[in-house]
Amino acid sequence: MLIHLPIAQVAVDPLILVAIGMVVGFLSGLFGVGGGFLLTPLLIFYGIPAAVAVSTQANQILATSIAGVSAHWRERQVDTRLGTLMLMGGLAGSTLGVGIFSLLKAFGVVDGTIAFLYIVFLGVIGGLMAWESVNALRKAGGDPGRRTRLRAWMRGLPMKRRFPRSGLYISIIPPIGIGFFVGMLAAILGVGGGFILAPAMVYLLGVPTRVMVGTSLFQIIFLTAYVTFLQATLNGTVDLVLAAVLMVGGVVGARYGAIAGRRLKAAQVRLLLALLVLAIAGRLVYELFVAPRPEYRLEEML
Amino acid sequence: MKRIAIAVLAACICSVSTASAQRVEGTERPILAAGIAEEVINVEVNYSDSRVIVFAAIPQPENATSGIAVALVGPVVPHRMIRRSPLGEERIEFVAAPQVFAVGAEPVVTASVSPDTMIQAGLNAQASALPRLDQLLSPELGAWREAFVGLKMDEGLYTFGEATFRRFEGGLRRATIGLPLNAPPGEYTVRAVAFRDGRVVGESRQRLTLARTGLEATLFDLARQHGLIYGFVAVLLGIAVGGIAAWLGRK
Repeated sequence: MLIHLPIAQVAVDPLILVAIGMVVGFLSGLFGVGGGFLLTPLLIFYGIPAAVAVSTQANQILATSIAGVSAHWRERQVDTRLGTLMLMGGLAGSTLGVGIFSLLKAFGVVDGTIAFLYIVFLGVIGGLMAWESVNALRKAGGDPGRRTRLRAWMRGLPMKRRFPRSGLYISIIPPIGIGFFVGMLAAILGVGGGFILAPAMVYLLGVPTRVMVGTSLFQIIFLTAYVTFLQATLNGTVDLVLAAVLMVGGVVGARYGAIAGRRLKAAQVRLLLALLVLAIAGRLVYELFVAPRPEYRLEEML
Repeated sequence: MKRIAIAVLAACICSVSTASAQRVEGTERPILAAGIAEEVINVEVNYSDSRVIVFAAIPQPENATSGIAVALVGPVVPHRMIRRSPLGEERIEFVAAPQVFAVGAEPVVTASVSPDTMIQAGLNAQASALPRLDQLLSPELGAWREAFVGLKMDEGLYTFGEATFRRFEGGLRRATIGLPLNAPPGEYTVRAVAFRDGRVVGESRQRLTLARTGLEATLFDLARQHGLIYGFVAVLLGIAVGGIAAWLGRK
């Protein structure tokens, strides 16, 4: 059975879309990432036009994040105070990032340079995280130490507040700053940024891995709602039929992802996330250096 | 019921095939007696694909080189093409080019008609892409057009030789041509062109509407005409589905 998508203008098999949504939702629930980096290429590969795939994935992730965060919420593993601060920084950072991106584009900065920086960034994060989590697994398999040299710089900062869910007493400047930086980077690189934010929360702020997953999903809810609204209002490229079918699989996958996450050690979750980040970097290396790039492209001027 | 309608259509075409002295508007080609089985195809959420059936009566007398070609063309919209090169990006604008171009011809036509005649008959996909006036004399127009057709073929919107034909007594032909799955709704032209001895001897043009109906039409119109409401609906859908899933998870 096929269904016709009103905005994408293609006929698709809903069962395949449900399966795609389920896989991406599972990763979302397990790691606290949105999953757009995986969903968008999968949809494009299946024949959905790129503009519709990019816009609609945000709508699907909104639903899966709500479903995923509910499981973490009940277990009191969502730090809303910390999440709100990072969200504020993220919104400001992404607004500035969009401006910087337009400026770089106007100056003719080649896409390849951005992709190369992206690969270096992901490779370093993924590599360090994999190394740390393997070391942690050899010991107890818990979270990284609280008083590391990496976080020593934060202790002298003013405006300290308590974050009881995360068990932290830190300045509000680092969470806002990290949110701002990740938001800006995400806007420049054109991604959601969950897989950058998640390790930043664990290693730079010292948020426990399980609280990180719930808090990251909490932020993603607001960010994806904002992106969905903008894409639907300004571009009309959100396909509600496609989103609805993806959501069905996504919410189921997100719940099972959250359940699977509870059965793993914190270091195991971090190691799997590191492997995912390295896999994304690998895909980018392939796209940049191996895959043939089309010489021509076509746009309809409707 | 559909079969009866097609039979009646075929009978009507046979009866008027002898009176074809009129000319196709804007050309010197005589009108070909032809008709299509359905003038409107509805696109709903359960739409998968469709076929257009064309009946045409070959002008008499017929010989061994007589045959027809059919084309489904439309909706015509402007397109922009971008080419990546070491020096940057180059662009060309086709002010009018069909989004869909599906053409098929009987084997006898393919074997006997020259490419120039096919272009003059409007059955060449590359020639259907009209550039801006200032780009009309570009030495690279041929390469741009070739790439344009290639990209459209990759999308499945331009197809060649995928029509099937059946011959009946009295010079009547039935052609069946597929409408691509991703064909956008809008106004199409279904053309049937008759050839004899490698030359065009008749042509017909029929209008075909691919129309959205039901939920398909509601969502499309909402997205295009009421973006703000559509944006709210999209966000509410995400919240509702996520909320229901969370509630079911608690149960």
